[in-house]
Amino acid sequence: MHYLSQRIAYLFFATAMLLFSLQLVYGLLMAQAHMGWDGLHPWVPFNVMRPVHMNLLLMWLLAGFMGASYYLVPEEVKRPIVLPWVALVQWAAFVAVGVTAIVGFHFQWWEGRKFLEIPRPLDWLVVADLVLFLLVIGATLWRAERRTGTVLVLYFGLLSAAGFYLFGMIDTVHPTVDSFWRWWVVHLWVEGVWELIMGALLAFLLLRLTGVDREIIEKWLYVVVGLTFLSGVLGTGHHYYWIGTPDYWLWIGAIFSALEPLAFLGMAVWAVAMMRRGGRRHPNRMALMWTVGAAIMSFVGAGFLGFAHTLPQVNRFTHGTLITAMHGHLAFWGAYAMIVLAIITYAMPQMTGRAIYRNWTQHYAFWASNIGIVAMTLALAVAGIAQVYLERMAGMDFLVVQREIEWHFFGMLLAALLLVSGVAAYVVDFIRYGLPVSDLSELPEPDLDAAHEGGAQPVTRGGAVGYGDRLVGRDPA
Amino acid sequence: MLSVQQAKWFFLGGTAVTFAIFLLLTLHTFSRIPALSNQDQMTDRVIHGKRLWDEKNCMGCHTILGEGGYYAPELTRVYTRRGPAFIRAMLKDPQAMYPGERRMVQYQLTDTDMDDLIAFFEWVGRIDTNGFPPKPTLLTVAMPAQPGQPSVVERLDRPKVFNQLCIACHSLGGQGGNVGPPLDTVGQRMTRDEFVSWLEKPQAVRPGTAMPDLPLSDAQIAELAAFLVQLQGPGAVARASPVPPAASDRRPAQGATPAGPDSPPPAAPATPPAASGD
Repeated sequence: MHYLSQRIAYLFFATAMLLFSLQLVYGLLMAQAHMGWDGLHPWVPFNVMRPVHMNLLLMWLLAGFMGASYYLVPEEVKRPIVLPWVALVQWAAFVAVGVTAIVGFHFQWWEGRKFLEIPRPLDWLVVADLVLFLLVIGATLWRAERRTGTVLVLYFGLLSAAGFYLFGMIDTVHPTVDSFWRWWVVHLWVEGVWELIMGALLAFLLLRLTGVDREIIEKWLYVVVGLTFLSGVLGTGHHYYWIGTPDYWLWIGAIFSALEPLAFLGMAVWAVAMMRRGGRRHPNRMALMWTVGAAIMSFVGAGFLGFAHTLPQVNRFTHGTLITAMHGHLAFWGAYAMIVLAIITYAMPQMTGRAIYRNWTQHYAFWASNIGIVAMTLALAVAGIAQVYLERMAGMDFLVVQREIEWHFFGMLLAALLLVSGVAAYVVDFIRYGLPVSDLSELPEPDLDAAHEGGAQPVTRGGAVGYGDRLVGRDPA
Repeated sequence: MLSVQQAKWFFLGGTAVTFAIFLLLTLHTFSRIPALSNQDQMTDRVIHGKRLWDEKNCMGCHTILGEGGYYAPELTRVYTRRGPAFIRAMLKDPQAMYPGERRMVQYQLTDTDMDDLIAFFEWVGRIDTNGFPPKPTLLTVAMPAQPGQPSVVERLDRPKVFNQLCIACHSLGGQGGNVGPPLDTVGQRMTRDEFVSWLEKPQAVRPGTAMPDLPLSDAQIAELAAFLVQLQGPGAVARASPVPPAASDRRPAQGATPAGPDSPPPAAPATPPAASGD
């Protein structure tokens, strides 16, 4: 950490941790409802739990992206955040809107449109909040003397994310038109501009953790985000197969969405190659594990499992079944949850001057959550495949099939408990890090891992192994 | 090897080209949506139905056009699959329709609301969806005795209301719901008059029964009673045939579905049940 204004990131990270924990609670309740235990139905029916679960996900990931931006933009452009008090207001407004939306869902204050359930008045507040955020980050970039490719890609991603949100606010009563614009938000976010944000975070983390030259890393970044848009934009077509749109989307969607895994494959190869090439052994190995893990798991979840049901010949039968939920869980985890957890793992020791990353709990958090989510995905896959064959192909009644696959949700629940235990370990460590320092001199050393770029102070200790020792020495445990 | 500058142009160029194509296709798609969805038939009732659909967040559980919560049935073709009588009964009291099953919120909808939702379903059902939802392709494999038969909900040899409503909870020939008992041999247990009074008001005949009072017209009840009384099942066939009942019990589909409500009950076939049927 170079500037005290970077501490704003902590507020967003803490918010993300809280919302993530709540998201898991609702997820557990939904798995139980799928098992036939819907005891909460009179108070919190499934159509309340689902938007809460989904919107908490979107909110905590957005909080993570915003926190990451407040942390890494000053590092990259070498100047503090402009108007940090506006950033504070922006955080408070973000929390207020989010809490209002989540509470409102429990009282049927919603729009009833999948993923975009936030009611219209709150939509405008979301937009206002995003504008405020983009203004603070934009002004910081504007005033800076150096702007790296990484921050430009990040800002482009954030700006486009805010822009596409507006298409979800187009008012229509036509379900086809409604769906068409809804995917401009949801698809062009998660299979488009969010990948830019993810790519930029990946670039920043790889720069810091591996020590590979910026030139090489940013070249990869442009190639990866180039592949993302080349495939992902027209890949939106895979949402336009069956909703009352012309049939040319069947082959356009098929061809381009079949190319979408390339971008994720690029990220995985990039991360692994940089890790192997990096001559530096950064002490925060956990941050590197989360970073490379995100690149690999996003390829498995978003790339491979997405491809598995994206061709219309397959999708005709899997569309609207648990197969989509199966893909969604691992895709969001691998691509976005893990990259946010990676940046938090990297930034917390930097902001607090404490080094908990050598604790076994950090390893437990990583492995338990990853094994848990993979097992959940497998359980959902079995349930989804059974549903496709029994309901869609053999013509059995929906509820009869759901009865048949209840047991797979018991398996999913067990796997989810493993995930929850891993995330709990992560959150506990997050709390143990404590608050960021209020005086930069309290930090053990001035930002060692930025040193190789020449802007920061030279590394006093030199040598790969000795580097970062003092951080480790301050481990409170 | 690619330079940073070239990589940047690859990104910017690729983005510009694909977005341009995407925008053109979007424009063309919007010119086609009115025809593909019969937009001219989108009446005020349909629009109100859509608003109710959103207001209750039906998508939070159901799917429509394949999009939604995966917790409750896909409703794109619900109008032809179940028909208005079933939809209305379901909206009025879901738990009565599916006692002990996965629950749906009981909304306090007026009759107009329900009519408008039904109008919405009817309109959505006519959207050209490029063949979604698909016809069950394994049906002929699952029921080898009747190759090439239309799916269970399209069987023209049964009353339409049976295919839409009864089959939601009861099964015939192994297909349908499992909330109520299978109907393969129900004709052995009840007479036509008993069927009529039962269907008029199940709760009056046997208070507390899981079967709800259904919004059926007298004509529908008469049609159903005539059909149900013919469901003698393979057991009845077996009495007159050399095949022991135990062997045919496992094949309830055979001979269970006569040609129609007005046709005579199935005569005892000379061939074994496996080769019989309609």
